Amino acid sequence: MDLLEFARGPALQVAAYILVAGTIWRLVGIILLKEKPEFSEPRARGGLGAALKVIYTRSFTADPFKPATLYPKILAYVMHIGLFMVVFLFVPHIMFFEGFLGFDWPGLPNSIIFFGGVAAIVSGFALLVRRLTHPVLRLISNFDDYFSWFITMLPLATGLLIPVRLGVRYETLLAIHIITVAALLIWLPFGKLGHTFLVFVTRGTTGMVFERRGAKT
Amino acid sequence: MTTVDGRHEIDREAERLAYKPPEVRHDKQGDMGSEERINKAMHHFVKNFNSQTASYLDGCLHCGMCADACHFHVRTDDPRYTPIWKIELFKRTYKRQVGPFAFFYRLFGLKRQVTIEDLEEWQHLLYDSCTVCGRCSLVCPMGIDIAGLVSMARHGMFKAGLIPHELHEVAKRAAETGSPLGITPDKFEDRLEWMADEHDVEIPLNVEQADVLAVMSSIEIQKYPESMAATAKILNAAGESWTFRTDGFEATNFGMLSGNPEWQKEATMKLIDAAIKIGAKLVVLPECGHAYMAMRWMGANMYGKPLPFKVMHISEYMADALNTGKIKVKKLDKSLTYHDPCQVSRRGGATQAARDVIKHLGVDFREMEFGGDYNWCCGGGGGVVTITRADPLRHRVFKLKMDQVEATEADELVSSCANCRQSFDDSQQHFGWDYTMGSLMEMVAENLEERKS
Amino acid sequence: MKRTPTVGEVLQAKGVSRRGFLKYCATTASILALPPSMIPRIAEAIENARRPSVIWLSFQECTGCTESLTRSASPTVEGLIFDAISLDYHHTLQAAAGDQAEAARHAAMEENDGGYLVLVDGSIPLGNPGFSTIAGISNVDMLKETVAGAAAVVSIGSCAAFGGIPGADPNPTGAVSVGELVTDKPVINVPGCPPIPMVMTAVLTQFLTFGTLPELDKLGRPLAFYGKTIHDRCYRRPFYEQGKFAESFDDKGAKAGWCLFKLGCKGPMTYNACATTKWNSGTSFPIESGHPCLGCSEPGFWDLGGFYEPLSTGNFDSGEKLAGAAVAGVALGVAAAAAGRRRQAKFTKEG
Repeated sequence: MDLLEFARGPALQVAAYILVAGTIWRLVGIILLKEKPEFSEPRARGGLGAALKVIYTRSFTADPFKPATLYPKILAYVMHIGLFMVVFLFVPHIMFFEGFLGFDWPGLPNSIIFFGGVAAIVSGFALLVRRLTHPVLRLISNFDDYFSWFITMLPLATGLLIPVRLGVRYETLLAIHIITVAALLIWLPFGKLGHTFLVFVTRGTTGMVFERRGAKT
Repeated sequence: MTTVDGRHEIDREAERLAYKPPEVRHDKQGDMGSEERINKAMHHFVKNFNSQTASYLDGCLHCGMCADACHFHVRTDDPRYTPIWKIELFKRTYKRQVGPFAFFYRLFGLKRQVTIEDLEEWQHLLYDSCTVCGRCSLVCPMGIDIAGLVSMARHGMFKAGLIPHELHEVAKRAAETGSPLGITPDKFEDRLEWMADEHDVEIPLNVEQADVLAVMSSIEIQKYPESMAATAKILNAAGESWTFRTDGFEATNFGMLSGNPEWQKEATMKLIDAAIKIGAKLVVLPECGHAYMAMRWMGANMYGKPLPFKVMHISEYMADALNTGKIKVKKLDKSLTYHDPCQVSRRGGATQAARDVIKHLGVDFREMEFGGDYNWCCGGGGGVVTITRADPLRHRVFKLKMDQVEATEADELVSSCANCRQSFDDSQQHFGWDYTMGSLMEMVAENLEERKS
Repeated sequence: MKRTPTVGEVLQAKGVSRRGFLKYCATTASILALPPSMIPRIAEAIENARRPSVIWLSFQECTGCTESLTRSASPTVEGLIFDAISLDYHHTLQAAAGDQAEAARHAAMEENDGGYLVLVDGSIPLGNPGFSTIAGISNVDMLKETVAGAAAVVSIGSCAAFGGIPGADPNPTGAVSVGELVTDKPVINVPGCPPIPMVMTAVLTQFLTFGTLPELDKLGRPLAFYGKTIHDRCYRRPFYEQGKFAESFDDKGAKAGWCLFKLGCKGPMTYNACATTKWNSGTSFPIESGHPCLGCSEPGFWDLGGFYEPLSTGNFDSGEKLAGAAVAGVALGVAAAAAGRRRQAKFTKEG
């Protein structure tokens, strides 16, 4: 079995199993802890609607906090949007998803995707520099923060390397890229990258609790 | 009695330096050994870990945005005042003990065990530099209720005997006497009589049956006794069937502030029992921030089932009474700005009530910058105003309020929380500031119009 | 030893004009990426070359490679070049059969010991030598015997080069490539299913002209023809970059000649000369005809997941295993929560 076969086969398969098992493990492990009973008289229902609303609105910073948080917010948005473009709007990736979803969707031209990928990496580096130099972030950051950054940037970088080639064989670069994706998927459920699924839980919970009180969400 | 544990010994032989860091005071209660304190802290952190808490503690991204919302950090640039850092020990314990991967955290030592030095340092972070104002909870992109986590973390600190001295003393006195300032039922009765007399107002006390139970905070009873008269005037004008009760009058809850859930429950149950005894349909809470949180949102949970009566903050009561025409006020010709008590507005959901009242007062209302749900905290809530070693920090933070108020150029400043009032008074004195905070309730009481029946 | 005529003599006898012959040498120089100054050398070498003996062994094959080679549209010089070699043994093209044919093979081996070329098409079964025999001799024995005195071995087609279709999953005959069995002689792989005719003859011409083997890649394929991917030389590449893809075989995109990536084209990972040299003397190649590249010059192309599965599709296992992972996750989560709650209860009791 050559590297590409390994990457597209066992590597991705194992990564998929670990991703699924790890994500469910973490979610179930949290959700099945004791529930906090709430007997106060609500001002509003604070149900699923509230949860969904806050899942959406918390993506945007409230005006009073905007000036102080603008810079990292923009960087984070560029990074996430670039990542989204590259992962979900690049046709070969869409074909990958179609392979197990059974349906596809329109993509964007490669040049735009490349730009998105570069933007994601550049903002990623800017965020790293910020984490390494800002006093607050230096204090609170740990291994998880740096490793998660690295394991996310790696597939981006290896993916961008494929069109750039640098004299290396296409299959080799493709195999390395797929392996770095597998590594990302394996790490995802365990560190702070778990926010991909936890964000719905945390925002939703706060939405429900505070909407119920009629308080600002 | 609390003991003071000074960390920096004065070396009389050492060469004098231009700057010496201030002596750090780590307060301790009881004479437990370090091991026991650590265990108690850990156990009582762990008690709080439910699925909601767990999702919050598992969801932090270390983005640091909470720091930009916190007045303590913003005014000092001290990274240790980053809100999520304040609950770092709480978070660490969660990941080691109860999180989904706890087994592996312990097995591979992925997070350190909490040490006594950690707990000592964190006493300052959890008490001196947090008013549980909740701004951090609003900015967090993950929606983590950081402020709520601080309140829970305090449970561990209390049981470990590692809370600030004054806060402990005050809470203890509240548990033992029923009031943080030692106001006994007799004293309360005395002061009620005095106010009834002085202000020529009927103040019912210990009525057997009434629709409304009114309660007060010790700060008001002691420092702003006119509040009692004002409350009476308003309830009388509204034609309420109401009473004060000596077996349930203390609205403050220093058990909640200090982190002792048993004392918190005791204080809350006193009021609930009194209300039930008289068959009250409504409990009106005084101008106090955390009292609102303690009864309106946590009261039923202490009781273990839904409360058999409604709960309103006095600002809500006034808004309702004014909106329905139960009471009327004169229009006032002045400009006014309003400081939001964090526990009533942002955390409590009653932001609009005060504004309704102000509208009825007909003043030229000047909302300060960020007024309403995003308002800056007075810096004295959550027990901070009781901690003397936190005074310099609290004064530093207060500049935010001064700038806010001054920018409105309003004639007057009011709020609806006696603790905020106390904090403002203290800082006003410290800075020689020319604004004095008034009480919204007193403003209404002073300007009640006769109801044309 | 019988004096064999030189290639030049043969061509002359066939009536090939000097002009035509030189034109062929020029074309050959061009596709071998040699400068024009080499043309006279090629001409001289071919003219004076003794027709080398070539033994063509056919094992587990479909004869497609021979068909491709002989499918020159008109009597081109490529076809004639086969008169320039002494093809002493070839199942499809030889007149002899049975013992006579085997005798001819042995004679050629003895007469040209150390100097003959062995061309092989088809894979060799190792599962049971009886799966493929010629004149009662198993493929593996015939290969061993024949390459013993060879100068070089050329694996013609993907079966000989990499195992091809017999070697595809589940490989019931235990088919292997020539390269796996011949390790002591130079082996050139000329894969493709079938290979392009011009590529086959150019490799032979190189050997005839210079007596050397062309520069080979990691898989033993001549770099001159297998050095670039179809994708990198495909005329539809701009459509790939612009994101214009045919979604089905007769949709507007297909009619407009858009990129066939979504329909399973393996161009990006296929090294061959199809996109430049093309087929049928430069007429067209699969993509130009509207069909995605199969990747036929790559090892294991039959098992790449499907001709119509896009290249980026993962090679996933069953969904059951994934469901199993989900169940495992639930179990671990429940266990973790239970352990957490137990710890809580314990600490609450201890106070």
